[in-house]
Amino acid sequence: MSLIFEKLCKNLLLEHFGLIIQTVASDMFQHGPRTLNQMKVTTKHPISKIKESLCVLIKFGYVVYEQTDRGIVYTLDVEKVITILRYPRYMYFVKTFCGDEAEMMLEDVLKNGYERASQIIVKTYQRLEQFPPERRSTVPVLKEKFDLLVKNQFLMRSLCSNTLSDVPTDKPDFNMPSLNVKALTRLIQGNEVDAGDNNIYWKINNDRFTQDLRDQILVKSIAKRIDDNAGELMRQLLYLMYLRTASWADTSIPIPVTEIKEAMKKNFPSILPYLDQYLRIIEEDSSKFIERVGDSGGGQYSVNMKEAFHQLTWVVLENIVMERFGLKAARIFRLVHRHKYIEQEKIQQIAMIPAKEAKHLTYTLLEENYLQIQELKKPGLSTAPTKIFFLFHIDLNQVARMTIEHCYHALYNIIQRRDYEINSNKRMIDKQLRMQTLTSNMKEHGATEEQLAEIAEMMTPSEKLQLEKVQERIKKLGANEFSIDETLFILQMYIRYHR
Amino acid sequence: MDLNLEHADKQSSRESEQHDPITQKIINLAQLKPKGISDKDISIEMPDLQPIQKAQAINKLLAQGFFDLFKQGETLLYKLKDPSKARTAKGADNEEKIVYTIIEDAGNKGIWIRDIRFKSNLMPTQLNKILKSLETKKFIKAVKSVAASKKKVYMLYNLEPDRSVTGGAWYQDQDFEAEFVDVLNQQCYRFLEQKRDSTKDYLNGPIAEKNATFASSKEVWKFISDLGISKVKLSIEDLEMILNTLIYDGKVEKMISSDGSNFYRAIRPLLDSSGLVKSPCGICPVRKNCCDFGDVTPIKCQYITEWLDL
Repeated sequence: MSLIFEKLCKNLLLEHFGLIIQTVASDMFQHGPRTLNQMKVTTKHPISKIKESLCVLIKFGYVVYEQTDRGIVYTLDVEKVITILRYPRYMYFVKTFCGDEAEMMLEDVLKNGYERASQIIVKTYQRLEQFPPERRSTVPVLKEKFDLLVKNQFLMRSLCSNTLSDVPTDKPDFNMPSLNVKALTRLIQGNEVDAGDNNIYWKINNDRFTQDLRDQILVKSIAKRIDDNAGELMRQLLYLMYLRTASWADTSIPIPVTEIKEAMKKNFPSILPYLDQYLRIIEEDSSKFIERVGDSGGGQYSVNMKEAFHQLTWVVLENIVMERFGLKAARIFRLVHRHKYIEQEKIQQIAMIPAKEAKHLTYTLLEENYLQIQELKKPGLSTAPTKIFFLFHIDLNQVARMTIEHCYHALYNIIQRRDYEINSNKRMIDKQLRMQTLTSNMKEHGATEEQLAEIAEMMTPSEKLQLEKVQERIKKLGANEFSIDETLFILQMYIRYHR
Repeated sequence: MDLNLEHADKQSSRESEQHDPITQKIINLAQLKPKGISDKDISIEMPDLQPIQKAQAINKLLAQGFFDLFKQGETLLYKLKDPSKARTAKGADNEEKIVYTIIEDAGNKGIWIRDIRFKSNLMPTQLNKILKSLETKKFIKAVKSVAASKKKVYMLYNLEPDRSVTGGAWYQDQDFEAEFVDVLNQQCYRFLEQKRDSTKDYLNGPIAEKNATFASSKEVWKFISDLGISKVKLSIEDLEMILNTLIYDGKVEKMISSDGSNFYRAIRPLLDSSGLVKSPCGICPVRKNCCDFGDVTPIKCQYITEWLDL
């Protein structure tokens, strides 16, 4: 684990949970698995605070614990911490999949880490009340939305409890308790009633989101490479894969064509006349997402996730090389990839780049570790440099890991910068916030137009201009964080499949 | 063939005017027997010739480079040299002749001065002199090789240098024509791209649509030739080299058809440009120096500031 990764995680924790939790987490970062007492010594926080922090971290799923002879040992799950970055994408995904209300519910769970269904529904209902009437929903609709979230396995039961005796099991539980709609309505009115889900908490199902984002990338790529019909076919293939294969298997269990046909008839009938042709095109494409594995039952296809992310990673890296070092460098990079091992002289010949430039680019790539060099000596000969062959090659795993580090660094920098932009303009942002609350308060109390205008004038035009600029900057930085994470995600998937 | 022979005959007859009758006779004899003549043949033809006279005449002819000496079994054979070659070597001394034959053997690939030195066992200074004199007489010429800019190779004056020496269509003098290659690269891609776009909304199914986007290397070649951007005549192989660079640019894919010809088509990338490089940190040249303290920090960073103000 690298220094920059640690810094990034700490930064994320600080941003979302505050200083105390951050110090507790970074203690585990530095020392690995720790007991409560050890943490007390190093962090110098009171034990109650540490306990509280650990409790939060456990409920959010960032810390796991284990009973050993030393007592209970806590371990930080860093892979989970980094998923904080992805929460906005989860929300966006749910929004497109299940609608606005579901997004609000998910947001609630993400904010709290774990929550009871009744509470989520009640809170969402109350939030919706602030919107204009056409956007409000009734309690039964909200309950349905919540059911949908659980049915799609976006949420799962949080099995943490306050007593040690129930050590959480790995098996995810998606059983929905029967909620009493009447009781929910009364809860909203502010009464203390039992809605039928005491002690049943829900948390987000990270794994499920990761898979969905993963599938989305595959569908998008195929749609981009071939066309939308092919993309839709890919989506159905992935769905069929879920029905029969463990979720993180390298390749799916073969899917017979008849079944694909059946699924397409149901969901996307317009493709049917060309179904066989589309299957062949996706199979023959150099992306190698699916492969034909047998002829029984009219042919069988299998989705090859491992290979797909292998190919996608190449595309990502080639693109990065192109942006960083130019088109010609990308040509050399692909050339070395295609030839596996190749000499400098051959590179400039095939790439058709002037010798001097080719050498310069090749050695720049070597210096930046995108290429590796392999010396080949004839045995028994002298070590004169002319007798040695220098072959260039690419160690994909190494380059992918290096680029992941690069992503961490970029993310860390962008977050740092965003914090800086916010902090250095804090006074102005606060002022605007105060003005907003003041205006809305005044409006409620029936203030006149003149009074409102007076408040608006509290900010000078130059301040307004500055504020606009800062907000633009913060937005840009936030969007950038998002796009870096896209690259990071593909590379992480590659590492996950090629460990 | 006949013409050539006639030409050669004329030449040799013109030259032979300067020879005395004995040598002239021997030459005529040798012309009749292209496989070579032996001492015996000469004795039969000219029985009254004294052995000393004969030896003198042959030695003279050998020295002038009219004859080559061969040994077949026990007998010596004199063979008339190709008149044109004999002519060129004339007026040159023995060393020059040796160097000339070495260069001649190298053909249109040429030979490096070092290799001539090893083969001829001549001193470098002497060899330089000889080469210079041969060059001024326009028997040989020096050609710069593209493989190594400082390496000169020698070949006969009338020869067209091999592609490996000149580098083919892509070299003007010794310089690689990067711009020319780039233009061709772009034009080839434009052609394939147009071909792809013209097949949009194809009604005969996706495979037919895909097949229609393929263009053979010959089609591309024709397009490029018709454009007239190239002053040099390009071969299809030359163009396939260009198309290969497009494959390595990730813009084109290749298919080999059943009859062995190559087909190419423009493809779309699997992904949009990576998110990482949209960030100033993704393409930062000083990232190695970047940390929380010091001159390069994310907060002070000039690159990020510029990017934010875009």
